[in-house]
Amino acid sequence: MGNNIQSEQAWRQSLLSIGCGLLSCAVLGLLWEGIGRNPENPITQVLPPPSQFLPVLFESDFKIGLGSQAASIYQSVAVTLVRVLVGMTVAFIGSILCGLLISLSKWSELFILPVLGLIAPIAPIAWVPLALVVFGVSNLTAIFIVFMGVFFTLTIATVAEIKRIPKNLLMTAQNLGGGSFNRWRWVIVPAVLPGVFTLLRLNFIAAWMAVLAAEMTGLRDGLGTVVMTGRNLFNSDLILLGICIIGITGFAVDRLLLLIQRKFFWWQV
Amino acid sequence: METCDRTPILSCKHLNKQFSSGRKKSTTVLANVNLDVRQGDFVTILGQSGGGKSTLLKLLGGFIQPSAGQVLFHGVPLKQITPKIGMVFQEDTLYPWLTVEQNIGFGFKIRGKKKAHYIAKVREVLEHVGLSQARKSYPHQLSGGMRQRVSIARSIAVQPDVLLLDEPFSALDIQLRRRLQNFLSSIWKDTATTMVLVTHNVEEAILLGQTLIVIGDRPGRIIETVDIADDTFRDRYDPGFLALQRHLEGVIEIDVNQQETLLREKSQEAVGKTVKIP
Repeated sequence: MGNNIQSEQAWRQSLLSIGCGLLSCAVLGLLWEGIGRNPENPITQVLPPPSQFLPVLFESDFKIGLGSQAASIYQSVAVTLVRVLVGMTVAFIGSILCGLLISLSKWSELFILPVLGLIAPIAPIAWVPLALVVFGVSNLTAIFIVFMGVFFTLTIATVAEIKRIPKNLLMTAQNLGGGSFNRWRWVIVPAVLPGVFTLLRLNFIAAWMAVLAAEMTGLRDGLGTVVMTGRNLFNSDLILLGICIIGITGFAVDRLLLLIQRKFFWWQV
Repeated sequence: METCDRTPILSCKHLNKQFSSGRKKSTTVLANVNLDVRQGDFVTILGQSGGGKSTLLKLLGGFIQPSAGQVLFHGVPLKQITPKIGMVFQEDTLYPWLTVEQNIGFGFKIRGKKKAHYIAKVREVLEHVGLSQARKSYPHQLSGGMRQRVSIARSIAVQPDVLLLDEPFSALDIQLRRRLQNFLSSIWKDTATTMVLVTHNVEEAILLGQTLIVIGDRPGRIIETVDIADDTFRDRYDPGFLALQRHLEGVIEIDVNQQETLLREKSQEAVGKTVKIP
């Protein structure tokens, strides 16, 4: 009974937040449309109304780029998304494995953590020139940049999460007959997963910006390239289309990560 | 319940434990503790909070090592944690990502056993402790009392020779505490598991124990051992029960007063030594 009331309240709360969010977006869109529709307004030249550029989304033959490199807006979204998600997945798994290995020994913690602390603050965009030299103009470059933007912070967080695990949880596992490997597998890994995943979600924005910057500066496809093509062609419609898609996709992925967090990593230790 | 074998299953000889932190002088928490726990016994250890009871329990479970003396399990010095000596902690130690059923089966899973081999045992334990209805619930969906029942069930499921319980009911209200005391008593009778329970609650110590040990304060040492296997002590309103309760409360109070007087005298001595009189 109590649970039903609670879930009903939570449902109402989420409906309210979705409703308010949609309403504020609609108000912003209408305001923009109203200002942009006035042809005498100089702002219209750089900020065309949404009704001017959004319809291209529904045109099946609309492509951006030249010749064989031309891609639809959906292909660009998919390319960027794959880059970010692959980079983040590799960084997530890698950081948990690395964090576990580092926390195995006090010495590895003392030697390795300062190095990670030194690399972690480097902005992902700073790796772009190096990545282009090493991997060339390819998906690997973008994946590498996302990885570098997330991996070090997540590894430091994994080590911190391991330290935060209550001693009694580990002692109980040992008391129940668990050897070291099984304690790592069945206690430490599940205990750190929610904390590290939360940080991954928070770092998503950084990874998202990094891959867009990489696409703008060096790569030939993806959402960043859409904006840069617009700039090169002095096409405000294309620039704003790219910006809107970047915003909406970023928001959608963040919500997806939140959903994953609530569904699979909901517990607190 | 049968207790045919009366040889000590777990014992400690001249047990001492000191803790030192940094530059501070080491503190003696336990001094010369000798104790025998026999097969099938229910030993309750009673004492003031912070008097070294939990330390004694951790030593008995191999969680920490003594500074002097030794703990013998089946006559062999105990050097490390063993699944043969189960432990139920005062704090919640259920794994929040596992359901009640998975938590109870965790002792098997962490030893690499296949679910098919232990699920029947887990279901049997669930039935026994009256948690079948809640088997799919997660710990955060349970009350404090249910969580402690799951903790006890998890330890019982792997059939330890001895079960150590560190004030498992101290955070619960009186009604729940009494229900869980009855629950623990029935578990002890049904499974014949040797149990050692630490508590600062005199009533609980008498009600559950067959042997009651009173630990004195600073340093922790045994100041009284009482055999309370008689049924008189299963009724909290029995005059014999109440008389023993009053006696034990008096024993603890006298010990605390003596220790405080000693401490005061020592500190006055120390002040006298450090203050220079012109």
